[in-house]
Amino acid sequence: MRYGSFTALNQFSCEIPEGSTGLLGPNGAGKTTLIKTLLGFVRPETGAGEVFGLDITKGERRLRQLIGLMPEQDCHIPGMSGVGFVAFAGELAGMPAADALRRAHEVLEYCGLGEARYRNVETYSTGMKQRIKLAQALVHGPKLLLLDEPTNGLDPAGREDMLDLVRTVSHGGGLSVLVSSHVLPDIERVCDRVIVVMKGQLRAAGTIAELKKLAGHPVDVELKELNPAFNRALIEDGMTVLPGARTTIRVQANASPAEIHLRVQRIARTTKTQVRGFRVAERSLEEAFLEVLQA
Amino acid sequence: MTPNPTGPIADLRYRNYDGKLLPPNQMWWVIARQSIAQALKKKSLWFLMAASGWYYIIMIIILFFVEQNAAGSEMAKVAMEQFLEGIVWKDQFLNGFVFAQLSLLLVTLMIGSGTIANDNRANALLVYLSKPCSKLDYLVGKWIGVFLPLFVLLGTPTLLFYVYGALTFSQYGFISADPWILPKMVVVVAISAAIHSSLIVGVSSLFNQGRLAGATYAGIYFLSNFFTVLMSFFFQFSKGKAPDAVQYLTYASIDGIQTGIAKAILNTKGSPPFGFMPRNPATPIPAPNLTVALLLTGLVCAVALFAAWRRVRAVEVIG
Amino acid sequence: MIQLDHVSRWYGQVIGLNDVSCQVGPGITALLGMNGAGKSTLIRLVTGQIQPTTGSISVFGHQPFANPEVFKILGYCPEIDNFYEHRSGRWFVQHLSRLNGFSAAEAKSRTQQVLERVGMADRADRKIAGYSKGMRQRIKLAQAILHEPKVILLDEPLNGLDPVGRREFIDLLGALSQEGKTILVSSHILFEVEQMTRSILLLNRGRLLAAGDLSAIRELIDKYPHRVRIETPVPREVATHLVRLPYVINVQFDPRGNALELQTREPGQFYDYLPQLVIDEGLQIDGFSSPDNNLESIFRYLVEA
Repeated sequence: MRYGSFTALNQFSCEIPEGSTGLLGPNGAGKTTLIKTLLGFVRPETGAGEVFGLDITKGERRLRQLIGLMPEQDCHIPGMSGVGFVAFAGELAGMPAADALRRAHEVLEYCGLGEARYRNVETYSTGMKQRIKLAQALVHGPKLLLLDEPTNGLDPAGREDMLDLVRTVSHGGGLSVLVSSHVLPDIERVCDRVIVVMKGQLRAAGTIAELKKLAGHPVDVELKELNPAFNRALIEDGMTVLPGARTTIRVQANASPAEIHLRVQRIARTTKTQVRGFRVAERSLEEAFLEVLQA
Repeated sequence: MTPNPTGPIADLRYRNYDGKLLPPNQMWWVIARQSIAQALKKKSLWFLMAASGWYYIIMIIILFFVEQNAAGSEMAKVAMEQFLEGIVWKDQFLNGFVFAQLSLLLVTLMIGSGTIANDNRANALLVYLSKPCSKLDYLVGKWIGVFLPLFVLLGTPTLLFYVYGALTFSQYGFISADPWILPKMVVVVAISAAIHSSLIVGVSSLFNQGRLAGATYAGIYFLSNFFTVLMSFFFQFSKGKAPDAVQYLTYASIDGIQTGIAKAILNTKGSPPFGFMPRNPATPIPAPNLTVALLLTGLVCAVALFAAWRRVRAVEVIG
Repeated sequence: MIQLDHVSRWYGQVIGLNDVSCQVGPGITALLGMNGAGKSTLIRLVTGQIQPTTGSISVFGHQPFANPEVFKILGYCPEIDNFYEHRSGRWFVQHLSRLNGFSAAEAKSRTQQVLERVGMADRADRKIAGYSKGMRQRIKLAQAILHEPKVILLDEPLNGLDPVGRREFIDLLGALSQEGKTILVSSHILFEVEQMTRSILLLNRGRLLAAGDLSAIRELIDKYPHRVRIETPVPREVATHLVRLPYVINVQFDPRGNALELQTREPGQFYDYLPQLVIDEGLQIDGFSSPDNNLESIFRYLVEA
């Protein structure tokens, strides 16, 4: 998939490969406009783009047969049962009626809506509403799934389930996924790459692993209690010591993690400090994102 | 014996749908089909259909009894002949049509008041438009979803009466009086259904609750109806000396304009119901000019549909 | 200080809170629980919207129900988002200050102060209808703190904020808590909560499951022994040593062959032992960590129990 520049989005250009991508950006940055453009609701004023080979400037309706949208807001078709709703969504996407019903059942099973599928959608809880939104997005077998805040309003257990669902679908399910969310751990769980949009422009694009890498491979050492003598000894050994959260310190040295670990443990022994964790430090996706924004 | 090629345990992991996808140029019919299916689920609809033909039913009962009675004596037979010769058949259709208006309104309210209003509340447009379905598909589908049931509802009793009449009373000029009566009635019924569909779709799109939309439409209907009843009283009491405007204003309501168009198409002024002539018959009000009536009606319907078009906003729907 | 003493509240047959006793002191405390666990009931009890069916609740010594005195020391930032859309944010906050009993002049100055505090001073004169979610949340917070309350309750305050807005809001709350205020935040988004505080109040189906500091709670969850993940190129060699330790209950190998995970009920003893593996036995260990020492895991353990 590829799209060029849009004045609505301010000369926005990027390429989204197949696979699972996260869409990040502050509110009002143009994420929503991007989604609308992909779906063909908005025609770009200048520039060009294509999704699966179909030109988005032509507003082709066939495009929406290849895309599934799971919107952020609550939406459903009134007066229908769960399975009726999903089957209808499938028919609206062009599926023959019999296929639509069969496939609706399959997708609902997959999304974890068992007996509830025969009940009116208006009686559903928040978690079930999210699942059925996902089901109606998947029923017609899109090649691209657009998810807008998929874990909105879900409690921690519901969030786990939804993320697992999305992860399974996006890895090995035969479709690409674009997730727009503010909840960065969700994106980390589900996506391999991210694109960052700010003020209508592309600010960064890359794999999550790359974005999280810290220059110089520092390590985070978690201690039972902070100990100034420990820090001093580390510095004397030629390492740089930076403070971290609570009882963690960040250590940098020109050596492999295993070597640093050995030196740290030796020093811990002599200074009678208990080491409770030792990890190659990476930025959280949130930190990486904030850095990109402030750059 | 294996359930699938990869071994005895079936692979139930998620698989994407690779099957047929029809080209998306008949979405309006999918939507219409769904609206109609939901409408048909309401059981009272069938009752209202029967009720809409109540005039025809009573007419048939009267005719039946007249016939039965006529078998009794020579004098009754002569009375019957007189009666049947005197009936203006197309006026019976007109009356049947006019007296069905209330049922028609009730059905329109039942199936049409929530048609777009409920979607507004449930944010359903987001679902429709994320599929290959355009604003036009949506509106056409909704419109047809109201139009078809109304058409069938109003048309079926009419058709049944026609068949009964054609079979029983053809010697009294049932068909010869106006050979085109059936096609004309079909047109009248279609126009009537179209008027109600357009207006209710327009009104429904303005609200978030079906009940409010229905109440508003009913309100408009009854207020305009009241106005035209006043006008027709005025017309009667002035004994033909009222200005022409009064005549036209008797058609200035939702049911009134339909009556007017029906009269114009059937080319009749109307006659008292059931064929019985009272001693002081009310002055029949002549039919309005068909072209003018159609134009005005078309304009009002277009305004309603335009309102619906504007309310159904595609682009702002996301976020 | 918010104090609950054997508080129960039910609605007909449905239980809201079941015999909950706890204290919430100064600093930020997170109110956690699944949907329907009783969080909204608790908040409504503290803000005096409803009364406990049995038990008693007090906020700094006052009973909150229908007690205007309590509103002087309590600020509430609700989840609902209904405003007078055609008015400006400044009008809204100023109006509420007048409702609080401040004179016109005082209301004006307080409004300005509090708007500056939440970072809305330059945008407060626009109509609320045009506000983004983040701006609305800030206005809600502004009205909650304008009378300098001792207690602030927030219901899903970070909902809909982008990461930048989130960070700023969390910093704001941190600053308020440094001033000694008692802040109770109800939220689903565990990773956000973790950044704000280590002190939690966990409800499940109306009962109090846990109240206190996260690490202390983790220590005490017997049912789920501590997990430690060790990254090493020689997992099986490391395992032969671990297996000899009596307090190691379980050793599992990562299928990729570069790590193992062990479970132990005595994490302290294990961490004391680990240097031996690295220094004395000379085994290469690239890293180790405890994967379930976070809020999400603790939440899951407590709720599933």
